Amino acid sequence: MAPSRGPQALARTLHKTLSNHRGPVHVVRYAKGTAKYVLSGGQDRSIRLWNPDLGTEIKKFEAHGYEVLSISVSHDNTKFASSGGDRSVFVWDVTAGVTTRRLAGHMGKVNVVELNADATVLASGSYDSTVRLWDLRAPARAPIQILEEARDAVQTLHVDATTIIAGSVDGHVRTYDLRKGELRSDFIGQPVTSAIPSSDGTTLLVSTLDSHVRLFDTTSGKLLNAFTGHNHTSYRCRACFGHEEATVVCGDEDGAVWAWDLVDATVLQPNPPPKVHDKVITWTEHHPTDPGEMVTSSADGTVKVWRHPS
Amino acid sequence: MSTARLKRKLGDLGIDTSSRKANENFCLIGTPLPPLEKSKDTGEFVPLWKQEVRDEKGRRRLHGAFTGGFSAGYFNTVGSKEGWTPSTFISSRSDRTTNKNRPSRPEDFMDEEDLTGMRDDQKLVDEHEQMDLLGSTQDEISKRGVGADDKDAITIALEQSLLPAPKDSVGARILKKMGWRIGQGVGPRITWRQREIAFGRNPDVPSDDIDEEAKKHLYAPRDTPLIIVERKDNFHGLGYDRGLGLHASLGVAPEASKQSNGPRLAGGFGLGALNDADDDDLDVYDHSQIRGRNHHAYDANDVHDEEHVLMSSRSQGARDLGKAAQPQRPSTGKVVFRDGKQPLNGFIISEKPVAEDLCFPIPDVPKDWTPNPKRVWEMEKANSKDKENASIPPPSQTQSHAQWKKGISANQRGAALGETPLPSAPRSIFEYISKKDQERIKNIAASRFAPPSTSDDPSPGPSLPTPPTITHTEPHVAQAALHGFQPFTTDPTKQARYTAYLHAHANPGSGTIPPAQKPGQSAEEFAKEINDYAKSAALFRPVSGAMAGRFTSAAALDLAPKIIEGLHTPAAQPEEGADSMDVAEEKPKEEVKEEAPKVHAARLGMYGVMTREVCTWQPARLLCKRFGVKEPDLDVPVDTSVPSAQTAAPEFTGAAPADEFAGASAGVPQVEGRGSGSSKRDVANIGMGEDDGQGDDVLTYERPGMDIFKAIFASDDEESDEEKDRIDDVDEVDEPPAVSAPAGPSKPAPDVKPPPSNGIVEDVDLATFKPTFIPRGSKPKDTEKKEKKSKKQKSSKGGILVSFDVDEDGGDSSLTAARQKHRDRDSERPRKKKRKDREGDGGEDMWVEKPLPDIVKALPVNLSLDEDSQVSGQETGPPRARKRAIDFM
Repeated sequence: MAPSRGPQALARTLHKTLSNHRGPVHVVRYAKGTAKYVLSGGQDRSIRLWNPDLGTEIKKFEAHGYEVLSISVSHDNTKFASSGGDRSVFVWDVTAGVTTRRLAGHMGKVNVVELNADATVLASGSYDSTVRLWDLRAPARAPIQILEEARDAVQTLHVDATTIIAGSVDGHVRTYDLRKGELRSDFIGQPVTSAIPSSDGTTLLVSTLDSHVRLFDTTSGKLLNAFTGHNHTSYRCRACFGHEEATVVCGDEDGAVWAWDLVDATVLQPNPPPKVHDKVITWTEHHPTDPGEMVTSSADGTVKVWRHPS
Repeated sequence: MSTARLKRKLGDLGIDTSSRKANENFCLIGTPLPPLEKSKDTGEFVPLWKQEVRDEKGRRRLHGAFTGGFSAGYFNTVGSKEGWTPSTFISSRSDRTTNKNRPSRPEDFMDEEDLTGMRDDQKLVDEHEQMDLLGSTQDEISKRGVGADDKDAITIALEQSLLPAPKDSVGARILKKMGWRIGQGVGPRITWRQREIAFGRNPDVPSDDIDEEAKKHLYAPRDTPLIIVERKDNFHGLGYDRGLGLHASLGVAPEASKQSNGPRLAGGFGLGALNDADDDDLDVYDHSQIRGRNHHAYDANDVHDEEHVLMSSRSQGARDLGKAAQPQRPSTGKVVFRDGKQPLNGFIISEKPVAEDLCFPIPDVPKDWTPNPKRVWEMEKANSKDKENASIPPPSQTQSHAQWKKGISANQRGAALGETPLPSAPRSIFEYISKKDQERIKNIAASRFAPPSTSDDPSPGPSLPTPPTITHTEPHVAQAALHGFQPFTTDPTKQARYTAYLHAHANPGSGTIPPAQKPGQSAEEFAKEINDYAKSAALFRPVSGAMAGRFTSAAALDLAPKIIEGLHTPAAQPEEGADSMDVAEEKPKEEVKEEAPKVHAARLGMYGVMTREVCTWQPARLLCKRFGVKEPDLDVPVDTSVPSAQTAAPEFTGAAPADEFAGASAGVPQVEGRGSGSSKRDVANIGMGEDDGQGDDVLTYERPGMDIFKAIFASDDEESDEEKDRIDDVDEVDEPPAVSAPAGPSKPAPDVKPPPSNGIVEDVDLATFKPTFIPRGSKPKDTEKKEKKSKKQKSSKGGILVSFDVDEDGGDSSLTAARQKHRDRDSERPRKKKRKDREGDGGEDMWVEKPLPDIVKALPVNLSLDEDSQVSGQETGPPRARKRAIDFM
């Protein structure tokens, strides 16, 4: 595609509203691959599979006894992992709609769960301030390793081929580098609610509870850019990269979706953005490949699919 | 030595002299202890006849499940030769009337011990009954009552004294030993006069039969009859007296005979002279006859207080009291309550009204009043000062409880009254010594202690501040304690001083000074404080070893308002204020010291070196295997990159400058792709990971190979016919690598792997492991491959980029096309999906369907970018249209 000058405008036209959840929706994730489906989990203890294009609910996964706080889809879309208030991580078979594993061991609710690239290892971060790494291949149900460096609840995790990035309420983002065998802990100073590296792994987008989204250089830990203007002080919100990583997108606690230019950190028009959700936007995720699609989930019980006006 | 010779001899005989047998000692010194019970082998075999069972009290018991085991009967008999025989079942149906099915008594379940115990108990009860000396029980009374009608008290007493006591109780025996006789009272002896009064006679009235001699003796006090509280075994109300029945009134009750015979009958009709006065007919409210029976033993007050030893027996007491108390006491019969009711029998109406509780309203607290005990204390202080001046505190002033309790001492009172103080008792021996002697003693003492004092300072006063001995803490202890439990977290000042102390002791040479004496602190207090620190440093070292990981110290200081025990003390506050000032002074320093590197930098937004901590971390081996990463070699403590670079140098230096991954063997790019993300982090690491970890990588590659298999065969079946032609293409392309996968997965991989390697980290990477999913993309891929190869051969970066750009464009166009097609298909999909779901095998298809065209289109884009970025990390990047994150660096 021919790259245009300046970042592409954010998809801000409401395409579909997925509103079958009762109660707040905590997480909505795109499937892997072409990402034609989304999975959402909410306070109503269910996980729902949607077709965002048509706005239809395809399937409902019910086994959780508490709220669902996190979902991670495997690379081949055959299974996904979810976690929540019931202190264990569930691994699901998508087609059968049943759990294939239930990994118990955390002492608190599990805030975040993440599968690695080939879904052989599952990382889960919990309120008990540990990250547990589970082996999904072996039948053993004990974690491979427990990362106990965090001093407070682990709120976000990112697992890529050689690193595990954990963001915690203690204000640290800890990068566990498997190849180097080292742990780099960057002190942000504020509770971290999301930490997403760019696809090339050189930068890290961190959103914290002081209404800041910061972009860090992963190699040196230096601050590259700070994105402000939104309201993010008490809930877990997620900031993510827009298409092509040219923009930064974050839904805030007022229900508005903010977008910044990555380079000059200016708020993209409209500024301030309109309020599109009634309550706090709990999860914002941009379509991995489609430049013009984005989903947001909110505490008002809806998941909204955004596209460019066609 | 004979033993030595003996040993030699034994040795000659071929006996090992060091063996136990040869060295056996037959000497026994002392008495051997009895073997411990517990060391006995409880499980050892004991012949049947030796086996015995003992219960927890050590008594021998029957053996077996129901204490009638194998040896029951005959020897351990339960009563018969046959031993215990269970009772035979008797149907109660046929035998209703027989008492064989009588209810079981407790005795049936008792063994002989219980039975004897029960018997003993019963005997005890019997003895108690017999021992009751004066017969307070019902039958005793009744026994006595039978004969009491015609005997007076003296006769009874005589009888009682003559009759042998059935059995003396212990108390009675003791009393007898002490000189007591039956019929006498207990207590000190009394004079004749007292005795006369006690018996109700007037001692002053002269009478003839009084022996003069009798007045000279002391007598035992009068016997005190027990006040017998009658047992209430009827259902009459309280205070109801049924009076006497007709028969009883005729002769039995002596006090009744004194008064009118028979009870007062309630006035009414139908009660003839011959009719018995029934209970119902008695005047319930008639109390006049009852008065005499009331015992008011302690009501009487006499002039001759000490002379009257008050006793009351049933008859005499009444008489006595009647005499003594009647003048004062208004007759109960006449006094009635205000509402006309008479008081209950035995009660009199008080003349004084009951004092009501005085209730005062709570005083109004002024609005601006605050509790200020200081005022009270000041008053108290003033009091104490006053007391120094005038030793009696005026009573109006508030006094402490102790003071109040103590009252005024005699001396104080005397001083207040202006008495000349009594010469107090001499306190020391000096006062007995004459003045001359005192002088002499003083001189002697002075001469003894003078020499040192003259040689030294004139006044070696104890007030000279001796430097407090600072206890020493070993550096390692202090170091450990720094990481251990912090005992003074509730008191920040103290904690700060404690840490300062520890720091000073942990590295003595570093110049950190231990905490100095606080301004308001005395030397002793300071020494004590330092001592405390030393002690706690020794105590609160961190737990070592495996336990250490289980504890974590509280991260936050408890800075909640400190609660002071006891009453509110404003007097203490100024000091507190001073303390808090100290805190305020010391605290920021501490904070700056401790948090400066991190928090301060973070607050200022100076992220970077200051906010970053790097430490080694050992990933679990399995984790490395699962991630396909070589286990990091952490033996080299800090700089793993340096040695690894060295080890990797021969291979890597060859490859890196050339920047020619394609030029290397097919395995290298594959591994590199597998290792992916960290390539951008540390170039040196890559080489190491590749070379050393090849075997591992092959291991980890087995699974993708399986995936490929599965993907191929599974998707082949499920792919719809509309794409048949494409799949054919795919098969053509991908089957060869699939077949060759076990042998060498390297071959398909180089084509597929590089995209994820360059960090499409989360979204798309692994999907690309499946070549089969690129149905339509296979052709572009082929071209891509070719292009790549050509690129690599060209080995020029610009070329790569250009070609990628071209590829990107092309990919994009095809992507949009593909997407449109997808949309079309998608519209049909749901229906199809539902159908498939019903069939139960459609899910996988639903999820996996053709994701690849898009990705593959997208991938080269990323690839180009990433390679780009990677390169630009090292060299100057080529111009690009849009800025990226990388541009910041």
